[in-house]
Amino acid sequence: MLDTAPAVRKASGRRSSGRARRRRGPRLGPYLLIAPTVAVIAILMFWPMIQIGIMSFQKVGNRQLRGEPAESVGTENFDTILNDPFFWQTLKQTVLFAVVAVTLTLLVGTLVGLLLNKLGRRMSSVVAGGVMVAWATPPVTAAIIFTWLFGTTGGVVNWTLDLLPNFLVGGGWADYNWFATPLSTYTVLTVCVVWQACPFVAVSVLAGLKSIPGELYEAARVDGSGPWRTFWSLTYPMLKPIFLVLVVMSIIWDFKVFTQLFIMSGMANRDAFNLSLYGYSEAFGSLNPKLGMGSAIALVLTVILLIVTAFYVRVMVRQGETK
Amino acid sequence: MKYIKVAAVAAAIALAATACGDDGGGEEKGASKDPAQLKVWMMGEGTTEQTKFLDAVEAEFKTKHPNTDVQIKYVPWPQVATTFQKAAAGGEGPDVTELGNTDVQSHIEQGNLADISGEFGDWADGKTLNKTALTNDQADGKTYAVPWYGGVRAVWYRTDLFQELSIQQPKTWAELTAAAKKIQDSNKADGIAVPSDQTNALLSFIWGNGGEVATKEGDKWVGKLDQPQAVEAAKYWSGLVTTEKVAPESYIGKHELQGPQRDFALGKVGMYFDGSWALKEMKKLAPKNVDKWGVFPIPSKTGGNAPVMAGGSDLAVWNDSKAKAAAFDYITVLNNAKNAKAWADYSGFSSMRSDVKFSDPKLEAFTSIASNTKFPPISAGWGEFEQAKKVLPNAIKAIMQGKSAEEEMKKANEQANTLLNAS
Repeated sequence: MLDTAPAVRKASGRRSSGRARRRRGPRLGPYLLIAPTVAVIAILMFWPMIQIGIMSFQKVGNRQLRGEPAESVGTENFDTILNDPFFWQTLKQTVLFAVVAVTLTLLVGTLVGLLLNKLGRRMSSVVAGGVMVAWATPPVTAAIIFTWLFGTTGGVVNWTLDLLPNFLVGGGWADYNWFATPLSTYTVLTVCVVWQACPFVAVSVLAGLKSIPGELYEAARVDGSGPWRTFWSLTYPMLKPIFLVLVVMSIIWDFKVFTQLFIMSGMANRDAFNLSLYGYSEAFGSLNPKLGMGSAIALVLTVILLIVTAFYVRVMVRQGETK
Repeated sequence: MKYIKVAAVAAAIALAATACGDDGGGEEKGASKDPAQLKVWMMGEGTTEQTKFLDAVEAEFKTKHPNTDVQIKYVPWPQVATTFQKAAAGGEGPDVTELGNTDVQSHIEQGNLADISGEFGDWADGKTLNKTALTNDQADGKTYAVPWYGGVRAVWYRTDLFQELSIQQPKTWAELTAAAKKIQDSNKADGIAVPSDQTNALLSFIWGNGGEVATKEGDKWVGKLDQPQAVEAAKYWSGLVTTEKVAPESYIGKHELQGPQRDFALGKVGMYFDGSWALKEMKKLAPKNVDKWGVFPIPSKTGGNAPVMAGGSDLAVWNDSKAKAAAFDYITVLNNAKNAKAWADYSGFSSMRSDVKFSDPKLEAFTSIASNTKFPPISAGWGEFEQAKKVLPNAIKAIMQGKSAEEEMKKANEQANTLLNAS
């Protein structure tokens, strides 16, 4: 992966000299170019990841942070977690949320992308601008805005629902507490996360759509294909690589949602915890951090993510190859 | 090949999931006598008035240490735990710091604070400090911090509604319920705000019924939350929402600043639990309602004032400080009689000095309430019990949503037994 992309470019530009050099020995250029990036990623990401891996088998608290050697506890952290019914509850909530949110993000995002492609230039820049605002909003800001929207005093959502006729939505909305139960909390969370994530999907889909030659659509129309058929027989197969990446990234993003949930319901609502919040509350929740425990939870989350993505990627690639 | 490529992309993206932030900072330390710089950490967001007050303190401090530059850093309360963790781990701590009094024992246990027994003994003003608050700053006969200011909570109520509905100041639990019911039934406001995440007020009900969170037996903490007194208090507190229906459900899962304070200031709820410092915040929210607010003590079950949790802040010298003497000098200036008075007047918190009194008449009730204070278990594990696990708030939430009080309090008690004794 490291050498393919630059190699192609170089070959096209300076064919003769490139060929000559390749014969003489291994080409260092691409590796040198990518070295700074790899170094930064290694320091900022791989090293902490390795640390998390080590710490998950240790007891790490304040004493250890101040310099005392960390004491190895074997798999005790993992035993504690896996035997805690609370862990399974948070895991269930994490997975369910990811399934719902990823589905909705891709659905809404694709529809918005198709819409953007259909619209005229002026209208599409208006829609794209609106969509970009959602994308550009930092998660903290978005979470606070949604907490206000769904709040009890001055919350627009409750106010609107209360104004609507009772036979439509039921009554008593004025004081409805969205953050009291996990289901309603996650409803708000899903709306917030999907709102923020679908612009990226929309823009990626739009970019893909622009690259499909218009003749293909013309041919489809001549053959009498409707929009539904056109999408599944033409657009979707053409954009499959893009969808693959989008699905994988959405799964990763939605599995590790933290900021929004932390702001919306926080530490006082353990029944609405997901894995990230559980890990945070163990590791950083009080002045007595249990970093070993937190690392173990983070490791479990990472492993689950890698398995899920690897499995999904495999399935997609297999399908692509047989076709 | 294609598979490897995609897998590599996937792995790289997955790794992007973990980001880590850290900030550096210069380490400059002068001689031990008169350091070039003294780092002071204050908790909370900080305001212009507070900065002005601290500037005056610095000017006074400089008459003794002309070459020392005092640097104030405000640490917002929600970031306190992580900021101190970083300070302890990275050695980038303050010289002098304010500490929430419930965290002092954790800090002592972790060796974050300098032993200031000697300096404290030589400080004449030390004798004026509140004795109960001082015990919380000591361990094994040594002093690690000094009390600065304290705050107690009471019931804020709407004087106009009480008058209009001819409600007397409630002296027992039954009268409190009756008062809330009258307000609720008048349809002018909700009766009372009872959030699930307000341990400080809940404790007054547990204590006001003769209950305890835990007591020390030998050198072990023994949880008392499953005892009938505590269970009854939890039932009463939750029952205001569930059975009496005089408190709205909208505060389940929230604390007093996530609704109750705002709604009380705006006139949507008749009573709520908070401290003297709330007045300044509520004035900002609804300046025209100021005349409608009054305060009465949290009643105990059968009559009289319930003990209240002594919340507040203390001052300590950080153990890694290289200028401990100057740091303690700063504390003595910050907490001398003149500055203590100025601070109380600005902040609305009562000074922990016996010679400094509240002057605002609206806050007078708090002075008498403050004579009956109590501490939650003085244990390093309290931080985890209350902040990380939020054991009581989550138990109360479950009870408010229909779980059995006996069961939930029993579970909370098991947590207390484990967490309070953990080292």
